Amino acid sequence: MKGVLRDKKAFLAFLLPALLFYAFSVFYPIIESIRLSFVKWGGIGEKQFVGFDNYVKLFQDKIFYTAFLNNLVYLAIVVGMQILIGLLFAVLLTYLTRGATLIKTLYYIPCIITTVAVTQMFRNMYATQPEGIFNQILKAVGLGKFATSWLTNVDTVLAAVSIPEGWRYTGMYMVIFYAALISLDPEICEAAKMDGANGFQLLTRVKLPMIREVLLLTLTMVLTGALRGFDIPYMLTNGGPGNVSELMSTYMYKKAFGSNQYGYGSAIAVFIIVESILVVGVLRWIFNGKEMREERRLRRIRKKTVSERRRGRV
Amino acid sequence: MKRNVLHILFWALVLFFLFIQIYPVAWLFMASIKPTTELSAAPFALPQNPTLENYISIFQDGSIFHYMWNSVKVTGVSVILIVLLSSTAAYALTKFCFRITKPLYALFTFGIMVPVQITLIPLFCFYSDMKLLNTSITVILPQVGFALPLSVMMFVSFYSFVPNELIEAAVMDGCSAYGIFFKIVFPLARNTVITVASMYCILIWNDFIFANTFISDNEAKTIALGLRDYVGAFGNVNWGMTFAAIAISILPPMIIYFALNKYVTAGMTLGATKG
Repeated sequence: MKGVLRDKKAFLAFLLPALLFYAFSVFYPIIESIRLSFVKWGGIGEKQFVGFDNYVKLFQDKIFYTAFLNNLVYLAIVVGMQILIGLLFAVLLTYLTRGATLIKTLYYIPCIITTVAVTQMFRNMYATQPEGIFNQILKAVGLGKFATSWLTNVDTVLAAVSIPEGWRYTGMYMVIFYAALISLDPEICEAAKMDGANGFQLLTRVKLPMIREVLLLTLTMVLTGALRGFDIPYMLTNGGPGNVSELMSTYMYKKAFGSNQYGYGSAIAVFIIVESILVVGVLRWIFNGKEMREERRLRRIRKKTVSERRRGRV
Repeated sequence: MKRNVLHILFWALVLFFLFIQIYPVAWLFMASIKPTTELSAAPFALPQNPTLENYISIFQDGSIFHYMWNSVKVTGVSVILIVLLSSTAAYALTKFCFRITKPLYALFTFGIMVPVQITLIPLFCFYSDMKLLNTSITVILPQVGFALPLSVMMFVSFYSFVPNELIEAAVMDGCSAYGIFFKIVFPLARNTVITVASMYCILIWNDFIFANTFISDNEAKTIALGLRDYVGAFGNVNWGMTFAAIAISILPPMIIYFALNKYVTAGMTLGATKG
């Protein structure tokens, strides 16, 4: 990646515009958020420095705990749908002899539709008045007693706001997994088949371990995406009824722009960013740790074989 | 025989998943050409008496054109800025021989982890101090800032394939650093430009969170906000009109997607795997 040009003025001319833009719209807000999280401020008037009060309040706030736990459920549903269904469909596609490109193209469509449209579609499908499609299907297959008002029932609302998000990006992860799977060396699969591996073993023992890197990267992507989930829950229920479907980001939004508690809202925002970075860090650590262990094992084996060979020669 | 059954089962499964992904979108277009009465009586059946009345009332209302124009402005300016800034910055990071390029690149890639929500409160305060709320620039600024990490990354990964020998040869011939960029490097990056531009066209057109926070005035509303506004404006949600408005609003991303399919998926999947 090292270049050859040495013109300092030109270097700055090419770099500075982007750097300034980036610094102002990404780094200034981070620093400002941290600063605001230490003050009490209602949007107008004096900012009052309160030290760690906002954070103390945060950890005593019951609604914040609800939002945090809800976010974990949201995360589980979104990750489950995107990774599992995405992977399953990618595997199915690899067995397809023709039409794979067309199906891939169509499958991807939900990713390019605005969240507002997705929300309105699902709002209509969840509705009871007129009867939405979920209730109609349940009634049609004789499970009418499970038909409910999905967005106001406290037992279903959290799942109901998570599913559209999961549905929306399944296609994207499918495309990623598919690209990784078809780039595998076919000779390795042939070799495994010769050794008597059946289709399922081929998948779980050979193909999936080989795309481990892609799996971990997408997992990082889905997790950080789900931690900052906002649009769909905000538009469908805005955390309601009560705070049953509250997520951290909707709660932050409510505090800052709903009740003008900018300091407290900033504390939640700082919490979200710390959490995202932690998750990425932990995943990278697990991933790199595994690789390092593997490398050490290989080195040990190599040493052994070398010394054995030497002994053999002597 | 057994093979055949498996084959059919396999296709059934593929089509089932495809149906789940596609049906809601197809249904949206179907619902938009149904008369209101039919929409409430049999919302999920095929349209019996297709009509354009929903579209006609949308056009008569007229505000959709205004919202679309705002979206075009925001998307256009943002995408031009993203391409310009990231192609030049990536050039500085890959083709210049300074020790600072590596930490600077790390600084740019760090941005991928930063959730966009962090900007809402500080930028809102800043804009309201500067009296900038309810202008298109409020959305353009964070859109460009948050697009830069990924687009810089994409340009960097392309530029690293441009051989240094080529640049050295140009220097020998007396070409300046600026000339090399505009005459050699940037024209070579055509595919990356298309990928970045098409991907961010779709993403920015669809943005909701920035527009919703910084824009409340009808004058500056983008299409994503306008759609929601439509729904509220009729008290009892007029689903026929809503679906027609949604159908119109998702057409531009659809056209870009089908025309530049290869580039869009390449960009979005690269974005995902680099995270």
